[in-house]
Amino acid sequence: MKHLIPLMLNGEARELAVEPYRSLLDTLRNEAGLSGTKKGCDVGDCGACTVILDGKPVNSCLVLAAEVRNCEIVTIEGLQPAPDRLHPLQENFMKYGGAQCGFCTPGVIMMAKALLDENPNPTEDEIRFAIAGNICRCTGYSKIIDAIRATASDLADRAEETAR
Amino acid sequence: MNMSVVGTSVKRTDTLGKVTGQAMYAGDLILPGMLHGKIKRSTVAHAKIKRIDAGKALALPGVKAVLTYENVPRVLHYGSPHPRSASVTKDQYILDNKVRYWGEGVAAVAATMEEIAEEALDLIDVEYEELPAAFTVEEALRPGAPLIHETGPGANLVLDPVVVIRGDVARGFAEADCISEGEYEMGRPTPAYMEPNVCVCRWDGDGKLTVWLSTQTAFMVRGILAEVLGLPLRSVRVLVDHMGGGFGAKQDLFQHEFLCALLAQQSKRPVRMEFSRKETFLGGRSRHPGKVWLKQGFKKDGTITARQARITLNSGAYGSHGPGVTSVGTAALTSLYRCDNVHLEGRCVYTNTPIAGAFRGYGVVQTYYALDVQMDEAAERLGMDPADLKLKNAVREGDIAPSGHPVEGHGLEDCIRRGTEETRWHELRRQARDQAGPVRRGWGMGCEMHGSSAYPGIKEQGNAIVKMNEDGTVTLLTGAGGLGTGAHTALAQIVAEELGVRFEDVSVVHGDTDVVPWDIGAFASHTTFMVGRAAQMAAAEVKKQLLDRAADRLEAAAGDLEIRDGVISVRGVSGYKITVHEAVGPQKGIPAAHLVGSGTYHPTKSYSFAAHFVQVKVDTETGQIEVENVIPIHEIGKVIHPIAAAGQIEGGIQQGIGHMLTEDYLVDLSNGRSLNPSFVDYKMPLSMDMPPIKTIILETAPSAGGPFGAKGVGEDSIIAIGPAIANAVHDAIGVRFRHYPITPEQVLQALREKNDGSSSADRRQAS
Amino acid sequence: MRRFEYFEPKTLDDAVALLGVDGGKANVLAGGTDVLVEIKEDVRRPDYLVNIKKISGMDHLEYDAKTGLRFGALVTTREIEISAAVREKYAGLCQSVSEIGSIQIRNRATVAGNICRASPSADTLPPLIADGASVNIYGPEGERVVLLEEIFTGPGRTILQPNEIITEVRVPPPAPHTGSVYIKHGRRKAMELATVGVAVSLTLDGKVCREIRIVLGAVAPTPIRANQAEAVLRNKPLEQGLVEMAAQAAVNESRPISNVRGSAQYRREMVGVLTKRAVARAAELAQ
Repeated sequence: MKHLIPLMLNGEARELAVEPYRSLLDTLRNEAGLSGTKKGCDVGDCGACTVILDGKPVNSCLVLAAEVRNCEIVTIEGLQPAPDRLHPLQENFMKYGGAQCGFCTPGVIMMAKALLDENPNPTEDEIRFAIAGNICRCTGYSKIIDAIRATASDLADRAEETAR
Repeated sequence: MNMSVVGTSVKRTDTLGKVTGQAMYAGDLILPGMLHGKIKRSTVAHAKIKRIDAGKALALPGVKAVLTYENVPRVLHYGSPHPRSASVTKDQYILDNKVRYWGEGVAAVAATMEEIAEEALDLIDVEYEELPAAFTVEEALRPGAPLIHETGPGANLVLDPVVVIRGDVARGFAEADCISEGEYEMGRPTPAYMEPNVCVCRWDGDGKLTVWLSTQTAFMVRGILAEVLGLPLRSVRVLVDHMGGGFGAKQDLFQHEFLCALLAQQSKRPVRMEFSRKETFLGGRSRHPGKVWLKQGFKKDGTITARQARITLNSGAYGSHGPGVTSVGTAALTSLYRCDNVHLEGRCVYTNTPIAGAFRGYGVVQTYYALDVQMDEAAERLGMDPADLKLKNAVREGDIAPSGHPVEGHGLEDCIRRGTEETRWHELRRQARDQAGPVRRGWGMGCEMHGSSAYPGIKEQGNAIVKMNEDGTVTLLTGAGGLGTGAHTALAQIVAEELGVRFEDVSVVHGDTDVVPWDIGAFASHTTFMVGRAAQMAAAEVKKQLLDRAADRLEAAAGDLEIRDGVISVRGVSGYKITVHEAVGPQKGIPAAHLVGSGTYHPTKSYSFAAHFVQVKVDTETGQIEVENVIPIHEIGKVIHPIAAAGQIEGGIQQGIGHMLTEDYLVDLSNGRSLNPSFVDYKMPLSMDMPPIKTIILETAPSAGGPFGAKGVGEDSIIAIGPAIANAVHDAIGVRFRHYPITPEQVLQALREKNDGSSSADRRQAS
Repeated sequence: MRRFEYFEPKTLDDAVALLGVDGGKANVLAGGTDVLVEIKEDVRRPDYLVNIKKISGMDHLEYDAKTGLRFGALVTTREIEISAAVREKYAGLCQSVSEIGSIQIRNRATVAGNICRASPSADTLPPLIADGASVNIYGPEGERVVLLEEIFTGPGRTILQPNEIITEVRVPPPAPHTGSVYIKHGRRKAMELATVGVAVSLTLDGKVCREIRIVLGAVAPTPIRANQAEAVLRNKPLEQGLVEMAAQAAVNESRPISNVRGSAQYRREMVGVLTKRAVARAAELAQ
């Protein structure tokens, strides 16, 4: 029997009818029209399905859709501030080669967003620690870290600008 | 030549969709009425299917189609593309009445929900008659061993042994002052791409099949589906948009493409079949495990006088790319370090274990591991520094490469020299001696070479069509697959550079076999080299047509014109110019030009080179090895996109570190069951395990055949990093490992033996 | 995933009632990072999942010097990881949670869930036992407090009935000059299941080790106290020779199995190495 789940999805109020045994990941991809979040393993081992749930990064494959009644969820599709403007993370992942095949990319970017929200000036070690649950098989992580570091720096510059 | 587009890291054409989540991968596709397909997999390694009964499954509400060997076409096929080529094996049926490895697909269902499809699998009744099984190469080669395939040369061989002979090894060994001999053993790493295998199939009312698929070889898939399903090629259309990695393995078909098409046909609805992560192990392709016995003779001054090797690879239950991997891996040993006298023999053997197939490095990972580690061993015995010994013997201009062609340039020597400078190698090696405490550090280096293209094993062909639109923008049509490496961006850069237009004005159409020119697929590091050259040729044709048209307009000879940044001007004369748009566009009474060029390139061969310098740390109390620093030096002729090239190198290093230290897909040798088909226990290096990498790219040996001199880069780093790590471990703790992966237990065991002064069986040395 | 029904009770009694129906066909859903994986891997086939996250009164995390640490069953491993009080007073516990899975996992996984799953290699168990933790269990007959060390009966098994829920974990306040350490052994630095886990909590009185508890994980069907190893060091001055003896005793007390993650022999060796290292580090922290 389906459950009716109201929630905020990328800033929009939505109501989804979901089977009790459906994961949030499958629901996003199949019912909510948001296929940007990827399924790499479906059991929480790879981080490709990372979304931000009530401000915290989680593996959406291990959350039931039925559990997120009245929650706020942000996926990769909800990251850019405007249809014609990208988030600095997105700009820098492109610029620094942080994305190759791109399959891990939405999950890594959302984890990076959560990291920078909590720690705007992370060291390299802190970045590596934060994305330890995101598997990338293409980049060796070097350029992912470059992209995140550059973003931290860009955001700091912006904050300074605004402060002035 | 001062280039404006090639050589810069332009914004890749494919990454916008990836960072916004808009990029469509095959598994993102939802079609109306789409069903979900699942495969039932065997729980026994070698057995006949006595009886298989799908009645209860079909009766489950929501199930729309079920397939067993009894209702699928029985056509023996290659499983892999490259039909009728030397690379692959014709030994698969869509579903057989026999299983040959634990986890092989025996039935498939399509249902309205994934959960129902899974429940339906449980309702399929299979009665197996178990057969004796061979889980190791030794068991498979024993007289009287169970025969796994009726096809092929027999005796559980995938192909007749590959034999490569040059010169006279007997004479060479006789001339040697010292001989090194050893057996090297390789484990079973797998590609573990992040996107599990997935396909979607739909039939149109007029019998045309459309397949959305994550594959590196769309045209090959089209060809083999048509062949096995009995369709003309125009009735099969394969679409590949974005792919989440392949690393060579996704050159094969994985059983599910055929099953998906047949389920869609039977149910008259579109069907999606997506592998679970576990299935990417069970039904996927790993690297060939195996052994390399290697013997080399050296003169006192380090010259190699003879090289003899016997390579034995474990194919798993089906042949897949066994022939190609065995041939390429074996032939590779004719080279890298110069030797006039070689005798090489390579075999590939069936066992009742998961299938080995194509994986980045393709046999050369295995054979060069043995070769480079043995060079280090020989250096020790000769009292020479390993970098010096390798430099002395490094293959160079004029030497005959494994393909039979002469090597161009001195790329390998350049890499070794640059690396020894960069690391202050000789100083480093002296420092390492004085260490105390349980933590030891060491430096090692490893070399490799790899061809850009599968020639001569496959007579490949790159095709491209370039057309210029009426506003001066350009479209490149290419069949080249996009694994996510940035290859399409590189092709666009080449076209832009050749034509003289801006990179932003070139778009790439790919991935639809109905539209783009035929392409063999993305593998063998040949896309930039082969398709790039074809694209350059096609662009050159368009350029000629364009300049002819512009010559009229500018009243100058076409030969005096040049194009840069989309502007055509007369060389040396300022003020006399028009834009490409103006040249092409319509004018009063004259229609717009329709400029199309096509290029076909049959590559021969070029080789890229690399030398990796690696620092490791070994905890002698826990046996754990950590790679702390990697400096890879790669010579690739001409870099098209520096960041993408470095990305390929760094990604290959992650996989190579995994090969050496933690990645091994294990099988229970008592019953063939997979022991670690998951990311929990198949351990890849993650962000905290990866070292800083300082990538250095050289362009000192450009290829005459490549676009602007470019050569391939995709496979080199995964080959060089392995021996570099093994050699560094030896530098750190004085223990020589001749296998991978190296586990902490083995490190502790080896340290114990070293301290006891006892010698273990695999360190015999003949002299 | 297999199909199941889903309930969101608002009170403990409702939850307990649901869990009691049909004798074990229902499972608790808290963080979900174990139970959902088990359902997907077909290890567990419940007919119902009972989400306890809507029950109030189980999300507190408090420390005071008299009663020590108390946290509810719904407190996540991530909340424990970033708690200043835990970092300061229960460094072993803090270390252990920070090495569970990934941040994404830890934002859902609860410590209580780690306890109930009772995996022999669970990371929070050795440091919690070393620090003398106990749990509050709620069932149809009422509540009881049990020492954590006493609830494990086998791999994946505890004394909990199917319709009992852990509601709270309590850890006594550490004595002054106590150092608490957890070392996890694995093949890589994150996303690991321990091949060996060693927790040491010791209290120094000058140079003398006044109290010590050594708990080993992943080397027996349940986490175990290395009683003989403790006896070597208890009430003795801490010095190298004794520490090595204690490490050897711990090795002898461990009963690991061989599996794809490591052989029994190697795990025994690592018990020795890690016990030495953990004792040394705990002693440093205790100064």
